[in-house]
Amino acid sequence: MADRLLDYSGLKCPYPILKLSAQYPQFKEGEIVEVIADCPTFEKDIKAWCQKLGKTIINIERREEKIKVTIRI
Amino acid sequence: MSQGIVCTEGCFIKCKNFFCEHGQKLSELLHLCSNVIEKISKGDTRQKIDIKVERYSLQRLIDSINRLSREIEDLINLNHELAIGICEHFDVLRRLQEGDFSAKASEDSPIEIVKMLGELINKLRDRFIDYIDKIKEQHREMVKIYEQERVILSSIGVAILITEEDMTVEFVNEEFERLTGYTKKEVEGKMKWSDFISEDVLDKVVEYHKLRRISPSLAPNQFEIKIKDKSGNIKDALITVAMIPYTKKSIKSIIDITERKKIQEQLLHSQKMEALGVLSGRIAHEYKNILTGVLGFASILNNKIQDENLKKYVQRIVEAGERAKELSNTLLAFSRKEEISVTTKVSLNKFLVHYSDFIKSIIGKDIELKLNLPETEVLYEIEPTHLEVILLNLITNARDAMPEGGEVILSLNEIYLNMDYQYTHPLVKPGDYVVLSVSDTGVGMDEETKQRIFEPFFTTKPKGKGTGLGLSTVYGLVKRYNGHIHVYSELGKGTTFKIYLPQKIKKSINSIDKEKLKGSETLLIVDDDAHVRQYLASFFKEYGYQVYEAENGEKAVEIFKENKDKINLCLVDFVMPKMSGIEVKKVINSINPNTKVAIMSGNPVNLKDFITIEKSISPEEILFKVRTILDEKE
Ligand SMILES: Nc1ncnc2c1ncn2[C@@H]1O[C@H](COP(=O)(O)OP(=O)(O)OP(=O)(O)O)[C@@H](O)[C@H]1O
Ligand SMILES: [Mg+2]
Repeated sequence: MADRLLDYSGLKCPYPILKLSAQYPQFKEGEIVEVIADCPTFEKDIKAWCQKLGKTIINIERREEKIKVTIRI
Repeated sequence: MSQGIVCTEGCFIKCKNFFCEHGQKLSELLHLCSNVIEKISKGDTRQKIDIKVERYSLQRLIDSINRLSREIEDLINLNHELAIGICEHFDVLRRLQEGDFSAKASEDSPIEIVKMLGELINKLRDRFIDYIDKIKEQHREMVKIYEQERVILSSIGVAILITEEDMTVEFVNEEFERLTGYTKKEVEGKMKWSDFISEDVLDKVVEYHKLRRISPSLAPNQFEIKIKDKSGNIKDALITVAMIPYTKKSIKSIIDITERKKIQEQLLHSQKMEALGVLSGRIAHEYKNILTGVLGFASILNNKIQDENLKKYVQRIVEAGERAKELSNTLLAFSRKEEISVTTKVSLNKFLVHYSDFIKSIIGKDIELKLNLPETEVLYEIEPTHLEVILLNLITNARDAMPEGGEVILSLNEIYLNMDYQYTHPLVKPGDYVVLSVSDTGVGMDEETKQRIFEPFFTTKPKGKGTGLGLSTVYGLVKRYNGHIHVYSELGKGTTFKIYLPQKIKKSINSIDKEKLKGSETLLIVDDDAHVRQYLASFFKEYGYQVYEAENGEKAVEIFKENKDKINLCLVDFVMPKMSGIEVKKVINSINPNTKVAIMSGNPVNLKDFITIEKSISPEEILFKVRTILDEKE
């Protein structure tokens, strides 16, 4: 079970990743966060983001247009 | 061959003949175009239309859509690079702000401004770390200085305390613990400055404390107070106070001047006694002269008068005159200054045994007399009648102090009073003493009485009972033997008089032939005190010795190296700056192990394996000792 769910559906890239950046400092280290988005470039963004900020991607799940990425903060 | 594209409807729109657009439905082609545009608009720039048509306008549309896709892709990529760059730098700044200095911005963005921002953040971070390191370094320095100052304050030989505005004690040092008997733990933060002050000066101290905080100039920064220690003893102290800058705290240093005060009192007392002695001596002397006339003429009158009735009066005059003469003699005994030279040695042990037998009959049955004598015989050169006068006065006083009966202890012992004793009793010369003491369990005296007991005519006894001359006589006699008296008394408990009589230095040297002190050997005298050195040198020269002088260890070694075969004996001061006497001896003996080296010291010291000479003994004695050392066979 994730500690948090962030739904960025309907937001165009790079908004979701900018929003995530602004929100995540309030999260605790080690929390598991699920991020949902439907922008086709989000997957690329969140991968780059995790790599740069040293976070781990646990799972990626696609359903139709939507993508759900589970990460550890 | 290029591949076909499937449109959303699922039908092929690729013409079998590549160059023919008529094989396709125009509408299908347009559909394809709008589908692709729609996908591009959603950000999916992977869409390309891979078709060549002959019709120019259509081909232009397809080319434009493909170009649009590429350009939007570039824009989107830029956008993402920017966004990721911002996210990353934002995160680094956030971590730095939280104090995580391991955060470092990357400097590899393809976008110049993002890259520069990264570099800027890193420079800022480095500068910040530098700055913090410097502050930390300064902080460490300050902590060091703080600790050093605390150690200085703690171990300095003056009692120190720091108080807050409400008088709470914040800090005390070791000397303060020693002065008051309280430990740091008991005091700091728990006790108030006022807890240490004797009630009679408390108001003054509290007022000064308050005034000082209004303006430091309103209170004196040095004054005398009375400190109350843990066991309730009151100590005289001199206190120096200063405010600590930027605070309402003050720092106080306290010096215990109890001893100093006592010494002052001793000096004052001795001066007073001296003045009284001079005065009473003069008067007694004058009276004696007058009385000689009175008594002389009275006796002539006595011989000439026949009338028995008148004769009676004349005899009264003679009797009164005799009493007055006796009184004058007693006063003279008190004030007389010349030393008494007696040659008879009295065994004090035997004397006291006989005397106590005699005195028992005088003091009455209610009073028990105890005798406390040492095993060894104590011999002292004293006139036995003087001893009797001293003891009689002390013992009758003891008896008078015990109307209900009690105990008198008469004791005798020998002690050596050292230099330390002299510090607290400046009027007493160090040396060997015989101590005679008389203790009673009587009423005791208060401090005021104690201060005055040696004054002639001072008495607390009713008229006719005491003249107040007993102790003045004792005082005068003891002084004439260069002795001194100590009185300990507690009201209701009793009194002890201790008579210290100095043992004369055995003057065996006097009997030694001066010729025997002479010598022709060569000496090296090392002493940093020019007076002592020159004095000894001239003395030795007078007795025929060759003398080299050195004012310190280095010089001594230098001189010794040059004359090592000539010098027979070195006399080296024990305490000297830089090289001590013992170090000098080591060096000299490393040059010539056979050279004799004697250590000279101001105080008697006991140095194992060293030949020592006390500087305080007479020059003849030093000469004698040197002769003995020189004549000694190795
Ligand atoms: N042992 C003692 N205990 C208590 N008080 C003493 C003692 N010895 C002396 N004093 C006090 O010292 C005073 C002076 O003593 P001092 O011997 O000089 O004179 P006195 O005994 O009063 O008279 P006198 O000895 O001339 O007959 C005494 O009056 C007494 O108050
Ligand atoms: Mg008396």
